[in-house]
Amino acid sequence: MAELTGVFATAHSPGLTGFPERVAQPKRDAVRAAFDEVARRIQDIGPDVIVAVSVEHFTNFFLANLPAFAIATGDRHLGPVTPEMGKFLGIAQRYYPGHRELGTHIYRYALAHDFDPALADGGFGFDENFCVPLELLRTGTTPIVPVVVNGVNPPYPTARRCYAFGRMLAAAITATDVADKVVVLATGGLSHWVGMPQAGTIDEEFDRDFLARLTDGDAARLTDYDDDRIEAAGNGAHEIRAWLVAAGAAGAGFETLAYEPTPEWLTGTAVAAACL
Amino acid sequence: MYSLHKLLWELRRDPVLAERFRANPSEVLAGYDLAPADSTAMMARDFRTLYERGANPYLLYFCALQIGVSRQDYYAQLRGE
Repeated sequence: MAELTGVFATAHSPGLTGFPERVAQPKRDAVRAAFDEVARRIQDIGPDVIVAVSVEHFTNFFLANLPAFAIATGDRHLGPVTPEMGKFLGIAQRYYPGHRELGTHIYRYALAHDFDPALADGGFGFDENFCVPLELLRTGTTPIVPVVVNGVNPPYPTARRCYAFGRMLAAAITATDVADKVVVLATGGLSHWVGMPQAGTIDEEFDRDFLARLTDGDAARLTDYDDDRIEAAGNGAHEIRAWLVAAGAAGAGFETLAYEPTPEWLTGTAVAAACL
Repeated sequence: MYSLHKLLWELRRDPVLAERFRANPSEVLAGYDLAPADSTAMMARDFRTLYERGANPYLLYFCALQIGVSRQDYYAQLRGE
């Protein structure tokens, strides 16, 4: 049976790769060192597959059909989705290998266990959600199974449901032999505003409180968020829903490897690893 | 609001459509069933009004960039600067 060998969560701000120099040296180095630490840990694990959990910013889905959760089971995923976006992110466009067997298994397992994610069986593209962290983590040709959580248009899946999705994900991973070692990587957050007048504001109090709950790992505290509390930390703060999936998958507390409020990257930037 | 969102999304995804919009916005708008206030705001590239009318900020911001409004100008407009 497959083993869930690591659970990590990181920021995915375009600035991390597209315009890192805008953040002053000590902060930038602290964030970079945390990404390097996660990269090292993932390299030590040598996973067969990374299940990457994030929102997607209207790159694949639109309001004509906007899933609360989706699993991309395709053989490969294009990212960044356009050369233009690649230039903005400072990341060369390429195909990331998928893992059809594990993706399909998770999809089937979800349906059999009272979750009903959408299926994206091919043609799935990445934006900064996956390209930025995978670039910094140097995951190379490790296959990726993307899981999408709606964090871009209300209403959203609840914090409780995201956590429960993570529990289900961990159970699915340990119930198959199509892979040996699997890593879960959640990306996004923390507080930030996109396309809103407050862009560049950081809600450090929200961020630190969220990281404290994550460190603690107590499910009741982690899921004690309503939409208004999250929205008060910016429309981008809904990306913590991806982190809640990771928290559910881990079922354990996390250590914060870096937290920096970085208005220059428009986000509270955090990197964390579950203490499995 | 759906028609506006559809226009914002399609302008972002389709560079040819974005180019057509830059050259002749009314021709592109004729193909979408926008509320008159949304249509007027799109003609004027008045993103503040569209924001205040409840357009999704992601779709609004991405569309602005695609039709040649800089990030600085977009945010200055939203802040009433």
